Amino acid sequence: MSALLHPPLPTPETFTLQGGCPVWVLRRSGPAIVSAKLWIRGGSGADPRGQRGRAQLLAGLLSRGCGDLSGEAMADLVEGLGDELRCEATEDGLLISLKCASADSAALLPLLHAMVLNPWLASDQISLERQLNLQALLRQREDPFQQAHDLLRHQLFGEGPYGHDPLGVEDELAALERPQLLEAAGRLGAEGAVLVITGQPPPQLPALLEPPAGPLWPTAPPLAAAGPGGRSIAALVSTELDTEQLVLMLGAATVCLADPRSVALRLLQCHLGVGMSSRLFVVLREEQGLAYDVGVHLPARRGAAPFVLHLSSSADRATEATTQLLEEWQRLLDQPLTTEEWQLALAKFRGLVATGRQTCGQIADRQALVLGHGLPWSYPDQASQQAEALDPEALWQAARSLLARPSLSLCGPAAALAAAERAWAAHPLGSSASALLS
Amino acid sequence: MVFSQDLVFSQDLVFSQDSEEIFPSPLAFQLDNGVQVVTVEQEQAPVVCLDFWCQAGSRTEAAEEYGLAHFLEHMVFKGSGQLAAGEFDRRIEALGGSSNAATGFDDVHYHVLIPPAAAPEALDLLLDLVLHPRLDPDDFGMEKQVVLEELAQSEDQPEEVAFQRLLALACPGHPYGRPILGDRRSLLDHDPQRMARFHRRRYQPGHCSLGMAGAVGDLDLEGLLASSPLAGLSPPDHQADAGLTAAGFMPLRLQSGRHDLRLPRLEAGRLLMAWSFPAAADLDAVAGADLLTTLLAEGKRSRLVQRLREDLRLVESIDLDLNVLEAGSLGLLEAVFDPGQAERVEAQISQVWQELCAAPPTEQELERARRLVANGYRFGLESASAVAGLTGHQGLWGRLAPLSHPLELLEAWSPERIRSEMVPLLDPGKACRLLVLPA
Repeated sequence: MSALLHPPLPTPETFTLQGGCPVWVLRRSGPAIVSAKLWIRGGSGADPRGQRGRAQLLAGLLSRGCGDLSGEAMADLVEGLGDELRCEATEDGLLISLKCASADSAALLPLLHAMVLNPWLASDQISLERQLNLQALLRQREDPFQQAHDLLRHQLFGEGPYGHDPLGVEDELAALERPQLLEAAGRLGAEGAVLVITGQPPPQLPALLEPPAGPLWPTAPPLAAAGPGGRSIAALVSTELDTEQLVLMLGAATVCLADPRSVALRLLQCHLGVGMSSRLFVVLREEQGLAYDVGVHLPARRGAAPFVLHLSSSADRATEATTQLLEEWQRLLDQPLTTEEWQLALAKFRGLVATGRQTCGQIADRQALVLGHGLPWSYPDQASQQAEALDPEALWQAARSLLARPSLSLCGPAAALAAAERAWAAHPLGSSASALLS
Repeated sequence: MVFSQDLVFSQDLVFSQDSEEIFPSPLAFQLDNGVQVVTVEQEQAPVVCLDFWCQAGSRTEAAEEYGLAHFLEHMVFKGSGQLAAGEFDRRIEALGGSSNAATGFDDVHYHVLIPPAAAPEALDLLLDLVLHPRLDPDDFGMEKQVVLEELAQSEDQPEEVAFQRLLALACPGHPYGRPILGDRRSLLDHDPQRMARFHRRRYQPGHCSLGMAGAVGDLDLEGLLASSPLAGLSPPDHQADAGLTAAGFMPLRLQSGRHDLRLPRLEAGRLLMAWSFPAAADLDAVAGADLLTTLLAEGKRSRLVQRLREDLRLVESIDLDLNVLEAGSLGLLEAVFDPGQAERVEAQISQVWQELCAAPPTEQELERARRLVANGYRFGLESASAVAGLTGHQGLWGRLAPLSHPLELLEAWSPERIRSEMVPLLDPGKACRLLVLPA
């Protein structure tokens, strides 16, 4: 039954740009390609109140004109070579991703510096990108999972930094104008940034990443510092929709990636929701036929990460689905994993690390996030070592300290909501929480 | 996700990349019973991917079998003569691996990602599971519930409902017009015996292939397969198959027309259009179609995106995808917009098409499309799963070729050839068009 430990990531080359941005380069054999990820701290979590949606709007605008190139000229350059340049905001950072053939990389890598130092933020491009984001925000409402997710997020994070979708809040996004974006662009890198390049990049990297003459982009390596927190008020929240299924999300705000207990949570996620041998899959799907899609959502965050069990089940099975989902959560609090469960979770944890290192893009993505959180390059391998040392008792302790008071979010037809609410009220996890119907 | 139903709901893998013109060489061989096997060595890969393919997609279903191809794919994981329900997953995942499966119109495949040292064991388990499914009646009843939940989940997504309607209207009487998941009534009616008959009929040596890619090393695949259930498969019983699936092998004749649909819970309007394109076997034409759809709708500077989103700001998004299928490929367009803009959106799409009829694309524009298609392909070759999938699929349909071959095909298309041979296929008058607005 024992799985093989994956080899650690090789030691990368590192250097620092004159402006202060650390660069990590991991050369790999295989196809002649380059993946570059520039991770800049300060994503949607840093949107000021009244300007929620600002980071994502800025992200979209960085590829709509910078330095000497208009948005069209940038697209002509990148698409003309057949390559890909994207920029998006997550809760904790702005991420610029370049994926290209090695032969093209000398022409494209200089764009990174121009994008962060000298974005155009042209008014007509602002109005276009803002309109697109508003439309996307509206369209998300078509998805019942998104609605349940939005409700739970608001329950767990309130009006705090993690309380809104990176796309923003409609009224606030609609009111964003060039001055606010200029201010946000001027602060890019102020909280730290890191660039990770994998694959087969060209020689003379420093000169491509920072023009020898000309202004520097001032930034610094991201430091480890406490990120945004969550709320620990357990409650039921719901929204009525005329759907076939009831969507259930049961979750709590937990800890940041840097917290040692995050490794325990990742193992619990492996146990409950990773793969077809996972506990939720076997019990709720294969043994009871309650759902097709069931799993655990646990993003890596710089602050309090949500730990969420999710399930969607036919409306007429709402009572059973709700009770079973609550029972699975309760089981985490009531008893440690069996030895067999624990070993299987560990094997999956190792497997995820290995399969998460198949492509240059996967490696660059993961390492940029880790370094962006102020953690060391070797963090993923250290976490693997830590995982080996966590026994069932330690996992149980982490569950009891972090998962004691979950909230439940529901989206579905009225009768199913009513049935699920009764099941929640009848369960110890629900009866101890305050009812808060929206 | 209209074209393939995954066994497990999963997020897309992070897409990958590549670029030099040195490709690994697939090694192909046939078992005595004719099963095609292909392996590709990728030194840098941390894992091995095994991918079993079978020509057992939804189009091979007879009238009383609707939904069975996909349902069987679920039931396969319920165990074999030797493996208890769930045992396969537990053993594969305990080895640090993972697995999944997906059913399409034409075929189904089952794949496993596994650390190299565990690949022989995974291969044994996979082949036993896929070729000797137990189809236990109790498991069958329970898994039926899971498939019904999958159906309900897709019916709650208005966009999926709209696409399914488009296909029904565009492909009447053809299996591509039916949902891969099947419908409630058929699903409720199925029993294990009917599924076993379908399995016997379709999971035959002439219908199967195996792809393997990644850190293959000195793994003796030929030796491992010699005594495997794959080598033990007996040749197909052609008589059993005669007539049953004739409809599935009819060439697709797309039904043009204009239709409207109102859907509740829709926040944005959709214009969906389907066109007929040459079948998968016509590799040259598929390459041309790929270039045309890319030229039209891939990236800010593509014709449709530039016109409708960037310049006129009529749409939130516009996509045009080529779905390569055995009985005839489909070009599928989706535009998303404020419902008030529907007429202008449609008029502009026609306008863009007419401009391409009047004058071929520029050489620069075609080169841009060529590079986008080529890089998309190259980037996709970085992961073991992508390569095992690609080569296993090629082996399944008798189209094995060097990995560089798709890139060579792109070079054969000039702007004038695109205009004369490909552009006419996209005539809006030949499309099946569905306008979807909020109820």
